[in-house]
Amino acid sequence: METSTISAREEAKQLKKARRSETWRRIKKNKLIYLMILPGLIYFLIYKYLPMYGLIISFQDYKPYKGIMGSEWVGFEHFQRLFTSDEFWMIFKNTLMLFGLQVFVFFPIPIILSLMLNEVRHSFFKRSVQTLVYIPHFMSWVVIVSISYVMLTLDGGIVNAIIESLGMQPINFLLNEEWFRPMYILQVIWREAGWGTIIFLAAITAVDPSLYEAARMDGANRFRQMWHITLPAIRSVIIVLLILKIGDVLELGFEHVYLLLNSSNRSVAEIFDTYVYVAGLQQGQFSYSTAVGFFKGIVGLIMVIFANWLAKKFNEEGIY
Amino acid sequence: MSNSNWRKLLGIMMLMFLLFVAACSDNSSETGGTDSSGEEGESSGEESGGDEPYAFSIMANLHTPEVPQDKVLNKIEEATNTDLEIQWVPDNNYEDRLNTAFATNSLPEAVFLKNQTTFVQFRDAIEDEQFWEIGPYLDEFENLSKLKENVLDNTMVNGKLYTLYQGRPLSRQGIIYRKDWAENLGLEAPKTTEEFMEMARAFTEDDPDGNGENDTFGVTDRSDLVYGAFKTVSSWFGTPNSWGEKDGQLLPEFMFDEYVQTMDFFKEMHGNGFINQDFPVTSKTDQQEFIKNGTAGIYVGSMGDVLSLKDDAIAINPDATFDVHNYVEGPDGEFGIWSIPGYGNLVMFPKSSVETEEDLKKILGFFDKMMSPEVANYAYWGMEGEHYELVDGAAKVTDDSALFDREVKPFQALEIGEPETNSRYLGYFEYEPKAKSEELFIDNENYLIEDPTVPLYSETFSQDGARLQQIITDATYQYILGQIDKAGFEAAVEDWKSQGGDAIIEEYNSSK
Repeated sequence: METSTISAREEAKQLKKARRSETWRRIKKNKLIYLMILPGLIYFLIYKYLPMYGLIISFQDYKPYKGIMGSEWVGFEHFQRLFTSDEFWMIFKNTLMLFGLQVFVFFPIPIILSLMLNEVRHSFFKRSVQTLVYIPHFMSWVVIVSISYVMLTLDGGIVNAIIESLGMQPINFLLNEEWFRPMYILQVIWREAGWGTIIFLAAITAVDPSLYEAARMDGANRFRQMWHITLPAIRSVIIVLLILKIGDVLELGFEHVYLLLNSSNRSVAEIFDTYVYVAGLQQGQFSYSTAVGFFKGIVGLIMVIFANWLAKKFNEEGIY
Repeated sequence: MSNSNWRKLLGIMMLMFLLFVAACSDNSSETGGTDSSGEEGESSGEESGGDEPYAFSIMANLHTPEVPQDKVLNKIEEATNTDLEIQWVPDNNYEDRLNTAFATNSLPEAVFLKNQTTFVQFRDAIEDEQFWEIGPYLDEFENLSKLKENVLDNTMVNGKLYTLYQGRPLSRQGIIYRKDWAENLGLEAPKTTEEFMEMARAFTEDDPDGNGENDTFGVTDRSDLVYGAFKTVSSWFGTPNSWGEKDGQLLPEFMFDEYVQTMDFFKEMHGNGFINQDFPVTSKTDQQEFIKNGTAGIYVGSMGDVLSLKDDAIAINPDATFDVHNYVEGPDGEFGIWSIPGYGNLVMFPKSSVETEEDLKKILGFFDKMMSPEVANYAYWGMEGEHYELVDGAAKVTDDSALFDREVKPFQALEIGEPETNSRYLGYFEYEPKAKSEELFIDNENYLIEDPTVPLYSETFSQDGARLQQIITDATYQYILGQIDKAGFEAAVEDWKSQGGDAIIEEYNSSK
């Protein structure tokens, strides 16, 4: 009896082994390489996948003292509340608008900037400009927004002083919904455009110089060279970065928007991140704000899949 | 890359790693150092009676830019035989940290709440018995039992007491203005809202500093409808304090005509340039800067601020003089001023961290000692001779007020009760307007407008009140800036009502 079960077990094991042997053989052969992935895998499991467990509370009426196990289940109540609230479409629209600005206005700027830098012959000049444009990246949003505030305020700001000295009416930049979006994207460009050039410049240096030589032989001017050689050469880099950018769709810089938000521009400036912060952390509605964040995450996922699909349509590599 | 380049890169990375490690270890040795000095203070203490000092943590509001040094803390620990760990949280983002700590079940043994709004938010958890009910224990403690009955009543939940309170004068609101400017223009302190408007106009248009340039304005305000100028001015107009009674029903302040009158008043000031044009986005620092650097002449808020405003202003302009004033009549010929419910902050004791009744009694024992004159003075004034000296039985902060701010001021956030109950010294102020402001706090008590909803409860308000209030705050600013008209404001009020305001009105009136 005993021996027969053991042999049956052994048999099953053998079978499985046979099926997996191919995979195992490969893993064994390259075990050191696989071992090197391990820290990364563990990192993702612990810090990225494990916390997703907390998403459960968006389906509960979560009370911290009762814990996840003890809180009452409410199904989709919080999602219902979100989708039926007056603010939902406003926030959704604002988020997409800022996202659109990021992709269509901001995204091309580092590319243009790096193409321009690439044409600069004088290496010292090129390097100093490059350094100068990426320094703002190291300033925090608080600093950027404060500097803008000091320059744009009506109470002694320099910009309005200039406007007035030209005989025009001062403009209330800070308390005006029309100025919020331009201000937002200009600050993003100010802070991030230089930093964004780094990867493009690196990609450009990898272009084979003989291609340019050949083009010059054929009589191509600098603009032609840029259009027919540089741009196609860095196309895949551009596409990968674009997909990553779209994946960040709803990461519009919470800190930045929150600092710019005020009573007069809330109707255009409230986005998911600021809404989650106020509802969740300041007002303690944990379940509801988790539901909002969850929804935001799903939208982000859909956008990445869409962008990747689009990239493949155009015969590009995509990110997976 | 060549081999030597790789080596260089590796070298740099190693160096950075070493720096990182060094930075970490340095940090830990520093905290170790302060700990040991704390123990030294302990061993030299007299009346510790051989008992082990009781160790626990407190989460408290930090009102200064920096965490204080341990000097005063050591004194407090010595006198109370405790080993305290104070988690200082900047007051600006206290709510987030409080909610985060609560959500992750990591609240310390004693938790300060910040204000009435956060207290209302925690009501749900309090009803669920997540915090120790302390009412029954108070009588066992000599000092805690002195706490004022009527203030304790304001902090009860379903008739039970869960918190100790930190006392505050009922109303510190009033005007601080440039006395020299007023004298230049032959103006008196404003006694009516009309005179207030006139002063704001004259300070803007009549060149009060006499430099021949149009470089001044009247009122400096900030992005705060409550502790900024708005609520105080609304009191002059006779607006109720948050909620008021109309035709036998409790209604929020913004449904009263007086609130709209106040908005019109601000709209007039804003339209004429008598107030800083960007006040809805101005920080407290910037607001005060305008009065310190001689750009603005009127500050509406806590009159006690006059001392720090003056100190900084005379550094720029030694001739600047200030005065304080409280009594301003509205159009109906009456003066009123809104009041707080007698407490500034509250401290609670979570059951998740205070596990036994014995621990609770030890912690309450600490706060009991905090209310003894000796310890209360350490926390409020620091060490005699070093941070303050006694003049006529009152504490006068030494000339080095920066030292006081650095070493003592943060600990004022730990005060329990008020001078009447904890017998700490009152302040002695050489600066006359500051002394006058203390008198005006008491004068204000004759004209208080109280918030009738303090002892009442509305579930909707507790859950959604803050978000709903945002609708009204936004609409108020937009009305003042001329971005919406009366109809637009009324639409916002309707919005407030339909999103939950009706339920709040209903719940408050039925719990009356």
